[in-house]
Amino acid sequence: MSYVDPITLLFASIFTSNILLANFLGTCSFIAISKDIGSANGLGIAVIVVLVLSSAISWPILHYVLIPFNMIYLDLFVYIIIVAAVVQALEMIIERVSPALYMSLGIYLPLIVANCAILGVVLFMEIRNYDFGQAIVFGAGSGIGWWLAIVAAAAMRKKIDKNPVPAGLQGPGITLITMGFMAMAFVGFSGILRVQ
Amino acid sequence: MKMNEDLKKAQAQMKAGVITVEGFLGFDDRDIATIIQHDEEEMARLKLNWDEVAAKMHELLKKGSDGLGEPTTVDKLWLIRVDETRGTLPSPWVGEGIFHKVNCEVRRLNKEGKPEGKILLYNELSLHMFEKHHFLQGRGSHFRLEPADIKTVLGMWD
Amino acid sequence: MTIETLILQTLMVGGVSVLMAVMISIIDGIVNNYGEVVVDVNGKKQMTVKGGTKLLGTLADQGIFLPSACGGRGSCGACKCQVDSDVGPHLPTETPYMTDKELKDNVRLACQVKVKADIKVHIPEELFNIRKMECVVEKITELTYDIKEVLVRMPAGTELNYTSGQYGQFEVPKYGDIKEPTARAYSFSSNPQMKEHMEFLIRLVPGGAVTTYVHKHLKEGQKINVIAPVGDFNVKDTDAAMICVAGGSGMAPFKSIFNDFIAKGTMGQRDIWYFFGARTTKDMYYLDWLWGLDKKYEKFHFVPALSEPGPGEKWDGPVGLITNVLDDYLQNKIPNEQTKEGYLCGSPGMLDACMVVMKKNKMAEDKIFFDKFA
Repeated sequence: MSYVDPITLLFASIFTSNILLANFLGTCSFIAISKDIGSANGLGIAVIVVLVLSSAISWPILHYVLIPFNMIYLDLFVYIIIVAAVVQALEMIIERVSPALYMSLGIYLPLIVANCAILGVVLFMEIRNYDFGQAIVFGAGSGIGWWLAIVAAAAMRKKIDKNPVPAGLQGPGITLITMGFMAMAFVGFSGILRVQ
Repeated sequence: MKMNEDLKKAQAQMKAGVITVEGFLGFDDRDIATIIQHDEEEMARLKLNWDEVAAKMHELLKKGSDGLGEPTTVDKLWLIRVDETRGTLPSPWVGEGIFHKVNCEVRRLNKEGKPEGKILLYNELSLHMFEKHHFLQGRGSHFRLEPADIKTVLGMWD
Repeated sequence: MTIETLILQTLMVGGVSVLMAVMISIIDGIVNNYGEVVVDVNGKKQMTVKGGTKLLGTLADQGIFLPSACGGRGSCGACKCQVDSDVGPHLPTETPYMTDKELKDNVRLACQVKVKADIKVHIPEELFNIRKMECVVEKITELTYDIKEVLVRMPAGTELNYTSGQYGQFEVPKYGDIKEPTARAYSFSSNPQMKEHMEFLIRLVPGGAVTTYVHKHLKEGQKINVIAPVGDFNVKDTDAAMICVAGGSGMAPFKSIFNDFIAKGTMGQRDIWYFFGARTTKDMYYLDWLWGLDKKYEKFHFVPALSEPGPGEKWDGPVGLITNVLDDYLQNKIPNEQTKEGYLCGSPGMLDACMVVMKKNKMAEDKIFFDKFA
C-alpha cells in the first residue's frame, strides 16, 4: 500500500473505514451505552483517549521490542496487557475528575478493555505497518469515528424511543437495525478513499 | 434466562450486603428472571391469583397493626404480629422508593384457637415486590414467600 | 523453541507488564493522592487527616461516630450531616433519603461523601460525646420467649456519661452469611449510676441480622463493641405527672429512668403512671419489680394490660389494647386538671395510636415525648 498521509488517514478512519460502522468492531458497548447521550458522549471520549494512548504505547513496544526479538507472535498478549493498563489508569483519573461520569458509565468503563475496537485498531496498525505518526492519527481518527457513531446513535434512539417499537425489538433489537442503516449510509463514503 | 437492564441492576442490589445484610436471594443460584418465572408457574398451578393474594396480605397487615406491635387475633382465623424497626429499605428496583421496615408474621389458628403450622413472614418491601414484580425472593431468603405456604396460611382456596 | 527464546519471551512479557504496572502506580499516586486535608467539625474541632476516604470513616477514625445502621453502605440514611463545603452534587445513592429542605441545606450522607479537600461539616452536638467501647458480655437472661436481657461490662476506667432514655449502637461480628460486622441501636435499660455496666433489652426481630445473632449465638464472656451514648429521649425536669406507655422491649428506657430516680432519691416525688401492654402473661416480664414499686411508692402506678389473655390464664387486670386502657384511665382515673407529660416507647404504629389518645384527652402535643425511630 502506498504511504497514506495523516490528513487522509484521519478522514478515512473517521468516515470511510469507520471502525464501528464499516468494520463492525466495538458494537457491544455501543448498544449498551447509546441509550443516554451524556454517557454516550463520555464513553466515546474515553474510547478516543484509550485508543490514542494504546496506539502510542503499543507502537514502540512492537517496533523496538517485539520485532527485533522475533516475538511478533506475542503481539495479542502484549496488546491486551497494555490496553488493560491504560483503561485502569483512565478509570482512576475519571473517578477523581468526574465522579458523576464515573457512576454513569458504571461497568462499561472497565469493559472498554474487552472492546474489540481497541484491539482491532492496534492490530490494524501492526498489519498495515503504520509508522508512529500514522499510528497516532489512526488511533485518534478511529476513536473519533466511534464517538461519532455512538453519539449519533444516542440521538437517534432518543427519537426512536418515542415511537411504538414492537416489544421484541425494543432495546438491542432496534439499535442493531439502526446501526445497520447507519452503516449503509457510511458505505456511501467508501468510494471516496480506500485505505483498507 | 436473559434479563434486561432493570432486572440485572435489581439482581445486583439484591445481593447480600447491598441493601440488607442477608440480601434477598438466599442460597438460590438462579437468576431472578428464572425465579420469577418458576414462581409464576407454581402460583398458577396452585390456582392462586396474584392480585387477590396481595390484597389479602395488605388487609392482614393493616388489621395486624391494631395489635400495636404485639400479636393479635384477626377475623378469628389468624394470629398476626406487625412490628416496625428503625431504618428504611430502598427497593432493589432503583427509583421505586424506600420502604419502612414493617414486619408482619401471620399464623393460622386451628379450631381450638391455637396457632399452628408455618409462619408467613413478609414486610412492606417484600409485599411490594410480590405485587409489582411477582418476585417472591430466592430460596433460603428469610423473607421468601412459598406459594404452598401462602395457600395454607391464608387459606385461599380456588 | 530453545530455552533462550523461552526466557526471552518471559522477560519481555514480564517487562511490559512491569512497565504498565509502574505507569498505573504513578497515576494512582497522583490521582488518588488527596494529600492532607483539614476537617472542621462544628467550628469547634479541627483535624488534619489524610484525604481520600469517605467522611463517615474519616470522622470515625478521629473518634467522632455518626450513627449508622448499615455500616456505610448507603442503605439506612442515618449518617446525615450538614456539609458546608462544596463536595459535588448529591449522588443518586443519597437522594432517596433527603427531604427537599435537606437537599437545599446541603445535608449529605457521610458514608457517600469522599473527603478530597478541606471540608467543613456540622453535626449534632451530642455526637461529640459518643465513644466506641470494646465491652464484654457478662450475663444473658431470658425474659420472655423472644426478649433477652443482655448485660455487658465496659472496659475498666471508662467513664461513660449518659442520661436515662438514651441508646447505644450494639455491634455484632460477622457470622454465617453475613460478611461484615453489623450494628443496631438499642435503648439502655441500665441506669447511669451503674458505673461499670450497660444493659440492653433485645427482642428477636424476624430476619433481623443482629437480634438473630443475639438470640442464637451470643455467649457470655464474648467481646462486643458498643458505640454510645446516642439519642435525645429523656425525662424533663418538671413536676408534671408522667404518663409512660411501653410495649415489648420498649420497657428498656423506663427501667433506666425509674432506677435513675430511685438512685437519686427522687422516686415518689412525681406522679408516674406506667402503662405496659402485652398480649398474654407469657409476654410480660419484670412484673414483681414493677408491682413492688407500685406498692412502695404511693405516686407510682403500674398498669399492665393484656390484649388477649388465654382462657386458662389467671389475670384480673385490665384487658384490651393498651391504647384503650390508656384512654380509659385518662378519662376516668387520672385527674384532668393535673399537668401531664407523655413518654412513649414502642413501634411507630403504637406511638401514633397513643398520641391520638393523649391529644384526645387534652394533653399538649409539645409535652409528649417519644424515642423517635430514625
